[in-house]
Amino acid sequence: MTSAPAMLALVTDAFGGRGGIAQYNRDFLSAIADPGSEGVVVSPITVLPRHAPDQAAPPPGIQQMPQQPGRVAYALKALALAATQQVDLVFCGHLYMAPLAATIARLKGAKLVIQTHGIEVWPWPSRLQRGALEGADLVLCVSRYTRAAVLGWAAIAPERVLVVPNTVDEEFTPGDGASLRAKWGLEGKRVLLTVGRIAARERYKGHDRVIQALPQLVTLGHDVIYVVVGEGDDVARLKSLATNTGVAARVRFVGAFNRKMLVDAYRMADLFVMPSTGEGFGIAFLEAMASGTPALGLAVAGARDALADGELGTAVEESDLVGALAKLLAQAKADPLSLAESVRIRFGRVAFAACAAAAVHRLRDAA
Amino acid sequence: MVVDCAASCHLLSHVMCGVNGIFAYHSASGPPSEAELIATRDAMRARGPDGAGGWWSSNRRCGLGHRRLSILDLSDRASQPMISDDGRLVVVFNGEIYNYPALRRELEAGGVRFRTTSDTEVLLHLYACHGAEMVHRLRGMFAFAIWEKTRRGLFLARDPYGIKPLYTANDGWTFRFASQVKALLAGGAVSRDPEPAGVVGFHLFGSVPEPFTLYREIRSLPAGHTQWVDAAGPREPKPFANLAGILAAGARNPAPASELNMRVRTAVLDSVGAHLLADVEVGAFLSAGMDSGALLGLMRDAGQREIRAITLAFDEFDGTDEDEAPLAARIAERYGAQHIVRRVSEGEFRDDLPAILEAMDQPSIDGVNTWFTAKAAKEAGLKVAISGLGGDELLAGYPSFVDLPRWRRRFGPLAAVPGVGRLAHLVLTTMAPGFARARPKVLGMLEHANGWAGAYLLRRGLHLPHELPQLMDADLAREGLRRLQPLRRLAASLEPDPGSDTARVCALESVHYMRNQLLRDADWAGMAHGVEIRTPLVDATLLQSIAPVMGGLTLRTGKAALANAPTLPLPDEVLSRAKTGFAVPTGSWMDAAAAAAPPSIDKIREGKGLVSRRWSRVVLASPAAKPREARAA
Repeated sequence: MTSAPAMLALVTDAFGGRGGIAQYNRDFLSAIADPGSEGVVVSPITVLPRHAPDQAAPPPGIQQMPQQPGRVAYALKALALAATQQVDLVFCGHLYMAPLAATIARLKGAKLVIQTHGIEVWPWPSRLQRGALEGADLVLCVSRYTRAAVLGWAAIAPERVLVVPNTVDEEFTPGDGASLRAKWGLEGKRVLLTVGRIAARERYKGHDRVIQALPQLVTLGHDVIYVVVGEGDDVARLKSLATNTGVAARVRFVGAFNRKMLVDAYRMADLFVMPSTGEGFGIAFLEAMASGTPALGLAVAGARDALADGELGTAVEESDLVGALAKLLAQAKADPLSLAESVRIRFGRVAFAACAAAAVHRLRDAA
Repeated sequence: MVVDCAASCHLLSHVMCGVNGIFAYHSASGPPSEAELIATRDAMRARGPDGAGGWWSSNRRCGLGHRRLSILDLSDRASQPMISDDGRLVVVFNGEIYNYPALRRELEAGGVRFRTTSDTEVLLHLYACHGAEMVHRLRGMFAFAIWEKTRRGLFLARDPYGIKPLYTANDGWTFRFASQVKALLAGGAVSRDPEPAGVVGFHLFGSVPEPFTLYREIRSLPAGHTQWVDAAGPREPKPFANLAGILAAGARNPAPASELNMRVRTAVLDSVGAHLLADVEVGAFLSAGMDSGALLGLMRDAGQREIRAITLAFDEFDGTDEDEAPLAARIAERYGAQHIVRRVSEGEFRDDLPAILEAMDQPSIDGVNTWFTAKAAKEAGLKVAISGLGGDELLAGYPSFVDLPRWRRRFGPLAAVPGVGRLAHLVLTTMAPGFARARPKVLGMLEHANGWAGAYLLRRGLHLPHELPQLMDADLAREGLRRLQPLRRLAASLEPDPGSDTARVCALESVHYMRNQLLRDADWAGMAHGVEIRTPLVDATLLQSIAPVMGGLTLRTGKAALANAPTLPLPDEVLSRAKTGFAVPTGSWMDAAAAAAPPSIDKIREGKGLVSRRWSRVVLASPAAKPREARAA
């Protein structure tokens, strides 16, 4: 590969998609197509999504094909694209597409890059998926924990498995949190915040743990309010839990927010808390800290990366959660600008772009 | 040949070392902690009790540590980590560069100015001149890391045979390395998740085959490889030396068999001379065998006049053929060496056993003999000793040089028939379970004898793959085998084809048994006593010289050539004596130790005479063989 290689990206969703995986795909593909300081890494990039519910135009250098929701139609379309255009690199955005991506890479003599996120690679995959991943030229993982999980079941050289972490949008910056606090009548209160889907199958996020901690925090003298941003099929159960725990008045379920309101919510909170046991990374931690609000999570799975082992946020054992909440609530909010800057140095766009470009450059070096 | 005394009087002042480093290469990672660097470094105190050094890059993303045992030059100039004059390179180094005088002369002729008397400095200048290609210029045993300031990267290298250890750990953000597995764990930041391939490998071979360790995150940098690490992470290790390749090159340019004696004499004498380069007294480990005896004679030929030679003796062997002391005394007398006979009792073995298991960096079913020899050397005040290790691999001294070709001829064709091996296995285990238990390798003969790799597994295997489910969880065994790929791994050590049956067995024995077991044991057992064990018969330059006559070597001719290599040949009794090597009555001692082990460890029924198999389970289960922190947890 002497000139910039052409890439076929097989993804669940990217431009016009929702959720963390779509966001990551957008970030990654944009970073390696962006003629920034690192220069053009890959060009052109053809993206084939399974889903693209929203209208969104990809940046220059990236062409996104219409969505192909059906499995068979998707595979046929991918093969047709591979047959009709130059493909030097195949980017596979999800493990379940790895066998298809590996087949195309073999047919085209192309390098294969597989992206892994979190819980999809924690259990052992099918033999086909494992075989495809073991044959990959690079495997990208969003966190050290996900990387360790992959290396737990894949017989692949560990040097081929890299961490390219999530990044955080430029919109998340420190700023005025007082307006929203006033609007919600929270002056004088200590505000805890969790942002995330509230789904029965994602109870690992830990809303329960925070609600159950509230009585003890109140007993310790904290006039605390817990704001829960997000929606899903588990809201009713959590409301019931709050009622049964005697803290219904202290828990506010405010639903899903758009990006602008989300930034305000992060700025408004005294402490972002998400005692999750199942994060592949935990991008909400970054968003909170980039907005100047300290973050607390469990030292479990990918959250350790987002919290930088306690160097950016606070990462504790589950048994220490209440104590950590009490301690952090007793402290004044530290310098938001300094915290945000620390987050950007490690996880900002510039760091992410350099990391993504370096990963792809390794393929060129190895060629 | 006479040792260059002018050069040797100011060389190799470090003798033994432990090296380590931490490099937070990923932008998401914070700076490594000083406490971790020191904890890892100081877990290797036995490797270098006299001093410790540390260095951090200006941005504190990379830290290097070093422990040293210095003998003469304790000056700060020679201490490590050593920084180049221009500040662009920093090195930590464990080992010896035997062609240091020549390299230094060459560099000085090119205008390079040295500021220390240490061979460590030659690494800095060579790297500055040649970059990664510098490894091709080195003769010796080495494991080192060089920080390159301008490229913000770390360069690591390990000698062609893997005499010196170097372990790495990469968690995706931070890269770590150290001379010992246990030292990496002592730092507290490396995962202890088990590596099934390492556990399976230990059960198959009695030592953990590189690059695996018992821990998934920790790998050995393979022998004869370099590795580069920068902000894009560690690259896959690159080979720069391959024993099979050296043998294949020799086979392509064969020399007449009549040259055998001359080549062995010249090349081994040259290697012995190179290995005598030191600023301290170099002693010798002496058995009644040909390898150590011939080396003693060649030490004398190389110009060393006063030699102290250590021999182990055991009450159990008194008056038997296995007692090495009388014949070793004859050899020592012939070469005018001062002979030190050290008696070892079972009681001392029992007393030392916890310390032996503690010193073992990775589990091994051997090394006890080396432990006591090194202990004796330390008691005698020796810091460096020459060992005959490697002679059997180089000069066709093992029965495997006969067995493997014979097994392939006799059983290979039948074993190549699909299904025959499994059928024979089924019949034997059903019809004669007692026999199958007592002779497990017979079961494997028709499964594995159709290839070199399979035949070697049969010869050296402690257990065979079909026995693993008795030893460990069946799923873990299956996964370990899948990750280890033992036959594929063995076969890979024969690429390119060494060109003759003898050379193939030489490659297999050198790359597997010697590298993963003998050399590793020599490292930990020697280091535990502050004794550096040097192995002139384990030398890539020597192998290059012998490779053209390798095809004509037989079980007799190779060793005979070595026995006759000294100007004054070995006594005839040595040649006629059955090979025992450095024998110790460990069979019965280990059996007694295994019998005293908790029943849970040794509940597996198997035939008599399989002591090392029982012993292996004792070693693996021993709390002392696991890291201290793991025990505390």
